[in-house]
Amino acid sequence: MPTIDIKKKDLDSLIGRKLSVEALEKRLMLAKAELKEYNAATDDLKVELSDSNRPDLWCAEGVARQIRIALTGKPEEYSFFRPGHKATRIIRVAKDMKPVRPYIAACIAFGIRMNDDVLAQMIQSQDKLAEIFGRQRSTVSIGIYEMDKIAFPIDYRLAAPDELSFTPLGMDEKLTLGRILERHPKGVQYGGIVKPFRKYPVLIDSMNRVLSFPPIINSAEIGEVKTNTRNVLVEVTGTDQRMAALTLNILAVNFYDRGAEIDPVQIVYPYATDKGTRVTCPYDAPASIKLSLAKFSQALGEDVSVADLKKRLTAYGHKVKGSATGLSITYPPYRDDIMHPMDMVEDYAISRGYESFEPVMPQESTVGGLSKIELMSDSARGHLVGAGFQEFVSNILCSREELADGLAAGEGLVEVDNVMSLAYSVLRNRVLPSLLNVEAASSKAFYPHRTFEAGEVAVLDRSANMGTRTDLNLAALIAHPTANFSEMHSTLDVLLYYLGVEYKLEPAEDPLFLAGRCGKIVVNGDALGFIGEVRPEVLERRQINMPCAAFEINLNAVLRLTKR
Amino acid sequence: MTPSEQNKLIESFHPLENKLLLSFSRSANLAAADIIAASGLDESRLDMATGWLTAKGLLAVTAEEVSSLVSLTETGADYLKNGTPEVRIIAALREGKQFTVKDIIQSWGMDPSEVSSAVGALKESKVVRVVQGGLLELNPAVDVSAYDALMTVIRHAASIGKGDLTAFPAEERSLIQGNFHKRGKGKGIFRITEKKNRTYSLTPDGKDVLRLIQERGAVTDEASALTPEMLKQGAWKNVRFRAYNISLSPPRASIGRKHPYREFLDYVKYQFVSMGFEEMRGPLVENEFWDMDALFMPQFHPARNIHDVYFVKEPSQCREIEAPFGKQVAAAHKDGGKTGSSGWRYAFDVERAKRLILRSQGTAVSARTMAAGPKVPGKYFSIARCFRYDSVDATHAPDFNQVEGIVLGSDINFTTLLGLLKLFGQEVAKAKEFQFRPAYFPFTEPSVELHVKHPDLGWMELGGAGIFRPEVTLPLGVDVPVIAWGLGLDRMAMIAMEIKDIRDLFSRDLDFVRTKKIQLNK
Repeated sequence: MPTIDIKKKDLDSLIGRKLSVEALEKRLMLAKAELKEYNAATDDLKVELSDSNRPDLWCAEGVARQIRIALTGKPEEYSFFRPGHKATRIIRVAKDMKPVRPYIAACIAFGIRMNDDVLAQMIQSQDKLAEIFGRQRSTVSIGIYEMDKIAFPIDYRLAAPDELSFTPLGMDEKLTLGRILERHPKGVQYGGIVKPFRKYPVLIDSMNRVLSFPPIINSAEIGEVKTNTRNVLVEVTGTDQRMAALTLNILAVNFYDRGAEIDPVQIVYPYATDKGTRVTCPYDAPASIKLSLAKFSQALGEDVSVADLKKRLTAYGHKVKGSATGLSITYPPYRDDIMHPMDMVEDYAISRGYESFEPVMPQESTVGGLSKIELMSDSARGHLVGAGFQEFVSNILCSREELADGLAAGEGLVEVDNVMSLAYSVLRNRVLPSLLNVEAASSKAFYPHRTFEAGEVAVLDRSANMGTRTDLNLAALIAHPTANFSEMHSTLDVLLYYLGVEYKLEPAEDPLFLAGRCGKIVVNGDALGFIGEVRPEVLERRQINMPCAAFEINLNAVLRLTKR
Repeated sequence: MTPSEQNKLIESFHPLENKLLLSFSRSANLAAADIIAASGLDESRLDMATGWLTAKGLLAVTAEEVSSLVSLTETGADYLKNGTPEVRIIAALREGKQFTVKDIIQSWGMDPSEVSSAVGALKESKVVRVVQGGLLELNPAVDVSAYDALMTVIRHAASIGKGDLTAFPAEERSLIQGNFHKRGKGKGIFRITEKKNRTYSLTPDGKDVLRLIQERGAVTDEASALTPEMLKQGAWKNVRFRAYNISLSPPRASIGRKHPYREFLDYVKYQFVSMGFEEMRGPLVENEFWDMDALFMPQFHPARNIHDVYFVKEPSQCREIEAPFGKQVAAAHKDGGKTGSSGWRYAFDVERAKRLILRSQGTAVSARTMAAGPKVPGKYFSIARCFRYDSVDATHAPDFNQVEGIVLGSDINFTTLLGLLKLFGQEVAKAKEFQFRPAYFPFTEPSVELHVKHPDLGWMELGGAGIFRPEVTLPLGVDVPVIAWGLGLDRMAMIAMEIKDIRDLFSRDLDFVRTKKIQLNK
């Protein structure tokens, strides 16, 4: 989740109080944030935010807001959200935007006291919102422009790749939309979002000047905000109207918190949307959720009074109405993460502080226990330890090469599709190759070597709903100058005796074992596994210079056989 | 040396030392040969015993002379039996046999270099010459007695056994010295070994000790080990068992042993069982449904993209999502269904839910357990191997264990959630100080992180937990509150094993694993 950079003096001024670093660390819990670094010399804070559903917190303004309202106990009245406010400026959406990037939200911020910190925060929040919340700009992207250079109304429409050209930010020549996708770094990075379409989105003002090519790049002329900029147009385009509206609301309250006046913009759609065809932004249909005080107290484990609930939730940014018989909570316009009354339980607990709750031990009595397969595995492990074997624990994700020479003709493996490294691209289908890895790495360890592992393997199984099966296998291996079948057989024999399995060995072929010195372990016609002397070519491939004998059994099969 | 020190020394004597000292009963000054005669020890044991007693300051060397002993090498023994190559060639030519050098090499079973040096020597002394066809021819006029003389010395040396070089006549001595084996040289006929003949006498301490041994008298028969025969025959009653030097390091043993990391996991396992938790298990290959959808992680959640989860190539999907959970979970995502939630409000894609992946979180096992009709009240745990799309380094293993679980019950609420975490901190981490911090997990509300104060490392995060959202529990058929918890125990395992690299938990190095200790319950 996002990590953001903030100057401490900027944060202090937004909070309205100078906090010590210790006090700040504690208060950051209100925003589920953690202070990762503080450099006193440069005044830089690095803050990590953990809540992926609270994009309003991914900036200095948002973190400060959550702390500020806890300190004052009173949330801001963002009066520009009041329904029915009149917008004098209009953005007209063209009909053919619908299949491409159908939604836009916009507002104007007047009188920003811009400086380096404010500009840095503005760019950072724009980036975090579009990258993380907007999924690399695909669902939501943001443009901010010099208001004074724009003549309303603005058209949000499509243009052919070579229809018009403008100078994109970061370049000094005019390029067509098509050329921007080829040559501008942002065009290369985000071009995939618009390339499936024949025409691309543009914002054009009434003087026919291009504001931007959403979601790719702004115009250098109109779309560059500098430290002397006072008035800006903020717009958010996207494929999800709710997310676009929320993003704009967050940006609007951020500018407001820094002293700007927010002026609305009206969007005129030629098609129906969830919010109608004429939508005035910033948009807030006051959203509320109903609570039952009894259920609330039950979920907390403490009896809560209406007064206390009102006080704590108000200090977290909510408006609480009603009485014990019915509570209605209206949450702030910069939040859209509340889905269930349980969300309010957490907000209450955070607002009050987790440390203010007395932990209570759950009283209901339960009986513990291990699964049958784990008990079987523990029993087998105990016998092998007693027989002088050293246990191993191996990784399950490995390379195809480690398993290839143990595969029967046509045998497949569970393979990763999005491989990151060939060394970790398949799941092991048996444990023995892991023990051979140990041998290959351990020629310096004094002999004899006796090793074993009881571990999970994944095998393809067409008959299963999941197409695969997880088995718990047990493999053991001996390596020393006279290691042979007979010695390994003795261990297997005594192990299966104690596990209560009567077995037979049948001559068998296995790619890892020497022909004529390999046996299939069979019980009533069912195969439990294999035993044998390891083929010299298998050893040579791994540069193992010591004879090895080994066995592997499927403990799930043993369990099935011993369960009567 | 005080008498008590002397007595202690006697207690620790090896029988050989006793025997050797007693041979000084008649004479204070003895040559090695005299000691052998008096004690019945052989040479190598004599060397051992004199070495020990000299080191203990009981015996001293009073004189030393070096003698050279002559014996036959393997080649010498062969020549004794078959004659030297020169003698064999001369004899064969005398018998009128016709042959070339090549014939000798091929059919006489002699070493080519040996043959060529013998023929070379015979040619040089003009005893033989090479004629047409490479055949050898004997010159009867040349004296060959020198070759016979060598055979005489070989026979002489063999008859004496290990004889002193000075015992041989002067002319034989020079032949021996010309043909003895030197390390790294070709084959010699004789081996000359140098032998030191030492004369020993007892030191004053040695004399005291001898007197003490003589005074003790009776038990002279010391045993190094108790044998079954001694027990059967009662002979142990008449022997004294030599005291051992117990300060020596023992030989290294390799024993059968649990893996230290597994021992740690077993310990954790039994702790959970003792706290009333039942073990649950799940498959390594999961579908997105149980791994994420059932946990109310929206299909557009950032942690669900291709850079976070390993997808399975073939088969890429399971056949079906178990009814009625597929529909109920889909409804919770879409509009909350019957959970009292507004839901995520998007179009749920069932095909996406079927996508097979490598289990990315142990919570998938909890989801399956909830759907399988768990006990209420009930406590469950699992130690689940999980996979994340991460590059492998000192803090990321290709796969790793997550210790996770659930607690179901009508008394589950925020304060009992904190109580359970406190119990874990006390029991699993042996911590005395705790901190609860607000946290975020897509499937719990409220969510909390447990931080504990470790005696050496200070504050550390031990785990995360929360109460499952109703959007998780209700669609899976569970209508009581459920705590979901997970603990990060690999860090604790690494501390207990004193390792810094998480990959060492899965080390392939037998020596490393054999020598790694783990301290539990610290």
